[in-house]
Amino acid sequence: MTGGPKGDAERPVRVVIAEDSGLLREGLSRLLADAGFEVVAAVGDGTRLVAAIEEHRPDVAVVDVRMPPDYRDEGLKAAIEARGRVPGLPVLVLSQYVEEHYGAELLESGARGTGYLLKDRVADVPEFVAAVRDVARGGTVLDPEVVGQLLSRRWRDEGLSSLTPREREVLALMAEGRSNRAIAETLFVTGGAVEKHVKSIFGKLGLAQTDTDHRRVLAVLAYLRG
Amino acid sequence: MAVGPNAEPDHGSAAPLSFARLITAAGFLLTSFPLGIFWFAVLVPPILLGVFLAAGWVAVMTLALALLWWTGSPLRRTLGHGLALISAPLAVLSVRGAQVERRRLAGSLGYPVPAPYRRQPQGTILDRACARAEDPAAWRDLAYLLLLLPVGALGFAVVVAAFVAVVGTMTLPAWLFVGFPDGAPLWREVRIDTLPEALIVAVVALPVSTLAAYLLIFGVSRAHATLGGALLGPSKSARLAERVEVLTESRSRAMEAAIAERRRIERDLHDGAQQRLVSLAMDLGMAKEKMAEDPAAASGLVEEAHGEAKRVLSEIRDLVRGIHPAILTDRGLDPALSALAGRSRIPVAVDVRLEDRLPEAVETTAYFVVTEALSNAAKHSGASEASVAVWREQAPEDRLVVEVTDDGAGGASLVAGGGLSGLADRLSALDGRLFVRSPKGGPTLLRAEIPLDASGETYRKS
Repeated sequence: MTGGPKGDAERPVRVVIAEDSGLLREGLSRLLADAGFEVVAAVGDGTRLVAAIEEHRPDVAVVDVRMPPDYRDEGLKAAIEARGRVPGLPVLVLSQYVEEHYGAELLESGARGTGYLLKDRVADVPEFVAAVRDVARGGTVLDPEVVGQLLSRRWRDEGLSSLTPREREVLALMAEGRSNRAIAETLFVTGGAVEKHVKSIFGKLGLAQTDTDHRRVLAVLAYLRG
Repeated sequence: MAVGPNAEPDHGSAAPLSFARLITAAGFLLTSFPLGIFWFAVLVPPILLGVFLAAGWVAVMTLALALLWWTGSPLRRTLGHGLALISAPLAVLSVRGAQVERRRLAGSLGYPVPAPYRRQPQGTILDRACARAEDPAAWRDLAYLLLLLPVGALGFAVVVAAFVAVVGTMTLPAWLFVGFPDGAPLWREVRIDTLPEALIVAVVALPVSTLAAYLLIFGVSRAHATLGGALLGPSKSARLAERVEVLTESRSRAMEAAIAERRRIERDLHDGAQQRLVSLAMDLGMAKEKMAEDPAAASGLVEEAHGEAKRVLSEIRDLVRGIHPAILTDRGLDPALSALAGRSRIPVAVDVRLEDRLPEAVETTAYFVVTEALSNAAKHSGASEASVAVWREQAPEDRLVVEVTDDGAGGASLVAGGGLSGLADRLSALDGRLFVRSPKGGPTLLRAEIPLDASGETYRKS
């Protein structure tokens, strides 16, 4: 799932970037353009983000949490507002810190096409580009750190404590939004082994098996947020 | 939460008006009168003697001073000392009496009065007696002991009257047969002359007289206690002086804590991020050199630099979060503490019961109490789990309470220069307090209390 210009045939993925630091805004634009995206707008604050989204109707918005005027969580609020106006808008939020709480707020505004990543992840270009594409396609991508917080919050949970260490690893990767194939690649195991683990996890946690990766992520997240 | 909200006893309990308290209050009032007589008898002669001696001393010294004034001789000060010496026995006696009274007020009325005396100097008995005589608190003690006579008489009268009223109404029917064969006079022409009438009046009047007696005794003992508090306790200026002392000390401790914090940040940046950036720049510099002749080596160096850059990022992120977590400002204590617990190396249960956001300084301090406690638990005590409880309580004062417990080895203490004493310093800037209960073998309980009344009137409570 590496991003190449040939990824989506004729039409490139259209993206709006909101990032207040000029340096990083330019860098992100260049990075995404290099990877074959079409950057239709790059703005520096929440108000302009909402306006740009209404104007361009992009396939995905990449948004920094902290922006003017107060440098708190304007980006998150603007993203949630934009989703109110353009329902189903895929949003990938970047943050200097990821906090499970922010992730939860974002997921509440709609879990389809939602990403929440630590800003540092930009440094791993292929993974980052894949995440943007995933979100644009309606997938859910959560930073491992958020998943870690979710898991540790529920440390006393009976279902969770019955999982084997390997199953916990698989569960964490599922919560991050990885597909079975991606999980298999990360853990250096076969796809069949992953499927077996997934089945066992769903059984132990009492979750209904679903066919699509996306609904599976939602089920796991719903369970972790309990 | 297994931890109760009271890790240490609180003063100022509001006990109900029980019968036992009524009896002790009545006993207090009854004994005040003879004590008043006693102290009056003991104190008045030395007062008179003192006045007489002082007048003589002043007369003699005035004469001497007139002669010495122009020389500016240090003998002038002898005048003051002489007066102090004359009044010293009286002052010492008053202080003794006041100490007994303070014990009585606390014991019988449940009204603790803190001793207001200045610190006694080292030296001979004479020096100490002189210091007593120069302490205004000793003279306020004397005033109280003299007032004990009229106040005690009033209290005595009230108790006797209340007793008579209650017993009188209870025995009303009997009077018909003993004292008033023609009927008891009730009001002008109205007389009680039959037994049923007497019973009815007794039944109606008994609750009234009992209640009146009850209220009178409590009212008078309360008034007595208030007088005791005013004269035997620290005066307003003494309280303010003590408050200034506390504030001066806490200010300098807060300053030191802030400076120590800056030093820590400097050290962290210098030892961590800065070194990593140097190594990163070095890798990139070498890669630039090798780019043309040895692209494979250059690529390896760039790879290394990339990893180094990511580590710097995560290190700086942790550092910045340690200075002030953004989520605390944005969302408040509950989410911030939950996130902190989520990052902790040991499992942490968080229970935050707050309805409103609190002042930023309070939230930040509470947050750092938990940070420090959890990092201690994870690093030093070898705990396998911890729990955090935060709540606001109204009594005995409006305050925020933060409790962190862990099941580690215990033995934590407030040693100077340690992390916990740094916390105590930060808390003292907000008039907060830190309690540590950490027996060897654990468990450890850390409790911080931060007052929330912004009126600045906290000195009243200490």
